[in-house]
Amino acid sequence: MSSMLDNLSLGFGVAFSGTNLLVALIGSFFGTIVGVLPGLGPTNGVAMLVPIAFAMGLPADTALILLAAVYVGAEYGGRITSILINVPGEAAAVMTTLDGYPLARQGLGSVALSLSAWSSFVGSLIAIVGIAAFAPFLAQWALAFGPAEYFVLMVFAFCALTSLLGEQPVKGVLAAAIGLSIATIGVDANSGVYRYTFGIPHLTDGLDFVVVVIGLFAVAEMLQMLENKLSGQSVEVPPSQRKLFNLRELRLTSGSTARGSLLGFVLGVLPGAGASVASAVAYANEKRYIEDKDPDAKFGQGDMRGLAAPEAANNSAATGSFIPMLTLGVPGSGTTAVMMGALTLYNITPGPVLFEQQPALVWGLIASLLIANVMLLVMNIPMVRVFAAMLSIPGWLLVPGILAVSFIGVYAISATTFDLMAVVAIGVVGYLLRKLHVPMAPMVLGVVLGTMMEQNLRRALSITNGDVSILWASTVCMVLWVLAAAVVLGPMGYRWLVKRHRAQEAAA
Amino acid sequence: MVLNDRVLGVAALLLSAFLAWFGHGLEAPFAYEPVGPRAFPLLLAAVIALCGLRLVVKGGNPAAPNPMGANMRIAWMVVLVVVYAGLFQAVGFVVATAVTAACVGRLFGGSWMQCGIGGASLSLLFYFLFDRVLDVVLPLGWLEGLL
Repeated sequence: MSSMLDNLSLGFGVAFSGTNLLVALIGSFFGTIVGVLPGLGPTNGVAMLVPIAFAMGLPADTALILLAAVYVGAEYGGRITSILINVPGEAAAVMTTLDGYPLARQGLGSVALSLSAWSSFVGSLIAIVGIAAFAPFLAQWALAFGPAEYFVLMVFAFCALTSLLGEQPVKGVLAAAIGLSIATIGVDANSGVYRYTFGIPHLTDGLDFVVVVIGLFAVAEMLQMLENKLSGQSVEVPPSQRKLFNLRELRLTSGSTARGSLLGFVLGVLPGAGASVASAVAYANEKRYIEDKDPDAKFGQGDMRGLAAPEAANNSAATGSFIPMLTLGVPGSGTTAVMMGALTLYNITPGPVLFEQQPALVWGLIASLLIANVMLLVMNIPMVRVFAAMLSIPGWLLVPGILAVSFIGVYAISATTFDLMAVVAIGVVGYLLRKLHVPMAPMVLGVVLGTMMEQNLRRALSITNGDVSILWASTVCMVLWVLAAAVVLGPMGYRWLVKRHRAQEAAA
Repeated sequence: MVLNDRVLGVAALLLSAFLAWFGHGLEAPFAYEPVGPRAFPLLLAAVIALCGLRLVVKGGNPAAPNPMGANMRIAWMVVLVVVYAGLFQAVGFVVATAVTAACVGRLFGGSWMQCGIGGASLSLLFYFLFDRVLDVVLPLGWLEGLL
């Protein structure tokens, strides 16, 4: 316990430096805007900022604080348009529309905004306490992992991510394999053999992670925006009404907020689930739980409990998803995979040793998450109007802006035209893959983990001189294999049961 | 051509063949370890091939068709982005961005007037913000010596 307090005070020492405070503030503000704009979510915002933060020469801890603030800010921002105009600003805010928009229609828009800001804050807070309490233990436990355990852990992460995302797991597996293949481009570190470089000198060090991420999350996104003509929207925030929720509403929703937060945290820690799954599960769960007890519940028609639960869950899950990245070095979501890629630019490999070797970085990040959340809470209630005004930025100004920022970032990392062209190529392929519902998160995870996964596999097999039985020799490996199988077979079995149930009903 | 799972499957099979063709000859001149540089890429090629086969056999799931005119706009956007990538270093950030931003803006429904002014101010603003304030060095190109 005392060591946790020591660590936290170390973290606050880092976080309260002038630069880091300023960066957390800017990140929160920018993140909220990214969250507000439909089509741009946390992954896009973080992806665009990674190369710029690096090129600006920000130290690793400051850069990570900036990215984390953007991530959390986007989770706050996504709810604003959900409530005001029934358009979720990002994927995790879909559930917020269900009760948030009806509340706004009843003239309670500002109350819904402040109440959901509060639930978001509580969700993040609970998850931050969870990180501070559990992450060091998980890291301690993972220190004993050998290469075989790491390899199987990564297999598990891919299984979780591909099976929980989307209807067709085969497309997730395909995406992961493509990502891993992209990571094999370049000189093989062990043998010095050039793989898939075709004599192009720019490919000797492989395709930069930034190139892939900007291609998939900025260029592909812009092409998708062109499908429908984008027009600026002006959103009215009703002026003369109660701004803050009252005590009765706080008491009414406190249970929902707490349940949503805990559920979100657990789902956030699991690789693959992430914020959008967490908010959906939390909403469904809360609806069932409350409707059983309270006949007056009106979920879907503006029940504040249906607003509080998913908002608490998505922020809690977003914060919780830092745990697998920080402690195991295996990110569990698209956004944290991008952040891990950012750390590798600084030659920092997240993993269990991070807590021992870079305590200032880890605890600084945890403290900054807390500070960023306080800033967001304070900023969000009076400044809603400012953020909503961002929606009136017309497409003809917004999209060129996104394009320019993306290219600035890529150019800043490599200063070559080759990389810019590669971004375009990857963006076009990414757009087509999206049209075919191939998920992007496993691909990014593949690019980020590719080298580590191959190295661990080869190291493990070197130990036994090629005998693959080492991959299931230890208890940890066996447990991870079982978990991987469960996470793949579970949803499949569930879908099969649902189908059979429906068929029986149709026959009856 | 309609984009569907079968097309995706064929593309996956082609990618797998490509990976296998250029991967099967990868060998280390001196092997220190039981698993060389070839195994992992070939393993991935096999996984991609299996996914491709499954998608080809099953087919279906056609992608939602784009609304009228969208494909044309997307094609123009790709052309513009390629041109932007080509000009970025050669012509310099400010000029390349002003021109591309104006054209991209047109695709998103702005008038020439709006996009021209918007593009020019965007490029100058970003140049000063990133290059001068944030220390992210950008190429000046044609404007070398002027700014």
